[in-house]
Amino acid sequence: MIALTLFRLAAFARSHRVVRALLPVLVLLALAYGVRAPLGQEVTALTDTAVLLVPLLAWSARSLLDTEPDQQRAISATAVGSPSREVAAGLLAALVVTSAFAALAVVWGLLLGVSELPSRGELAAAIALHALSALAGTALGALTSRPILPSPALSIMMLVLGFMAMLLVSLSPAAWLTVPLGGWMRAAADGLLTEGLPWLAVPSLLWPLLGLAAYTRLRRARP
Amino acid sequence: MRLVNVSYSYRRRAPTVLRGVEMALAPGDVAEVVGANGAGKSTLLRLMAGLARPTAGTISGRPVVVGFAPDRFPAEQPFTVTAYLTHQARIRRARFEPWIDRLGMALLMNERLRDLSKGSAHKVGLVQALMAEPGLLVLDEPFAGLDADTRAELPAIVTEVAGRGGMVVVSDHQGGLRGLPSVRRWAVLDGEVKESTGSTPPVTAAPPADVVVTVPADEVPAFMARMRGDGYQARELDRA
Repeated sequence: MIALTLFRLAAFARSHRVVRALLPVLVLLALAYGVRAPLGQEVTALTDTAVLLVPLLAWSARSLLDTEPDQQRAISATAVGSPSREVAAGLLAALVVTSAFAALAVVWGLLLGVSELPSRGELAAAIALHALSALAGTALGALTSRPILPSPALSIMMLVLGFMAMLLVSLSPAAWLTVPLGGWMRAAADGLLTEGLPWLAVPSLLWPLLGLAAYTRLRRARP
Repeated sequence: MRLVNVSYSYRRRAPTVLRGVEMALAPGDVAEVVGANGAGKSTLLRLMAGLARPTAGTISGRPVVVGFAPDRFPAEQPFTVTAYLTHQARIRRARFEPWIDRLGMALLMNERLRDLSKGSAHKVGLVQALMAEPGLLVLDEPFAGLDADTRAELPAIVTEVAGRGGMVVVSDHQGGLRGLPSVRRWAVLDGEVKESTGSTPPVTAAPPADVVVTVPADEVPAFMARMRGDGYQARELDRA
């Protein structure tokens, strides 16, 4: 399965789709960290970027998953022994890419985006939010990838709408219905991120994992 | 391997593509699937390869190692032939090199997949399907676009896979396996799969004659496979 994951990453890199996925991330980072955040605003700046990264990481995950032609997916599934392992290898490759981009965002933010390094606890919380952002992006990207939504127009629309819905619902009283992106930002602004993170982490993990489970389930009927 | 009452439709309320398929394959069996375009041949092959789940019914006893070559090799991938096959060999934990000469691909190895002709791309698809000694080999229209040498080689390869106990399922409407003895013929018609009982037509109508050929001992297996591949009843007499 690892060999198939590496094959998919190689195809993503060699097809230059990785550049198309990375470019928007670089633009976001250049805009977000163009000016260093003022003292005391470090966590807010890092959290806002983690939220805005979600749709771009979803775009990256979708781009990686869609690199493979449909017939190659069939070949890969027989080569690796079963369609479910092919699905797992694809998700793993997507997660590698989204995690790498999220890690780049953290490093960029710490080097160029803040005036002073945040405390150790705040730093850990900011890193955790970026990891959750990578997970949420992977799930949204997988659910809008070609086997699930074959029409490119519909798929891109659903990706954008999915993120907007996540953001709006998370700012509403029904915030528990989605990844609490609004809750992340509010906690960071109130200086409560470190204490609040365990509570925020539960729905932030739960919904992407449910999304990935749904993707895996849907793929059984869409090989 | 056994298919019991297998039905398939693409979506819940879509018309069924296949229904009530009852078939069994034993080790060493070669089945040729025939039928009109769109009759459901490819669907049957994908079900057998484990790429699609039956909507109803069960498929049991599928060998662990399955080789699958689609009718059109997906050539729009950013690899050279060597790079692609190296990746596939790692995934399958097998070696592709022995197949290169056999399928006449030595000169193609540094070509990019997207630059290959249809027939050459098809060979890449065959190599990845064959390299891991599949217990079930599924070939979708393998004769389309192949050059004459490979067309002639393919029946021998099929015979070899069957000879070591593999099952082979081939969809084909060009009669490429016509020369092979004891090929089972499955006809797909109106969503049903029937085995035609008529035996394979003999290669010639003339009375049989025995011929003795002397071959270097290490070439015997390949020679026998080739002769069987050409549809002759060949057996070994003596190894001096």
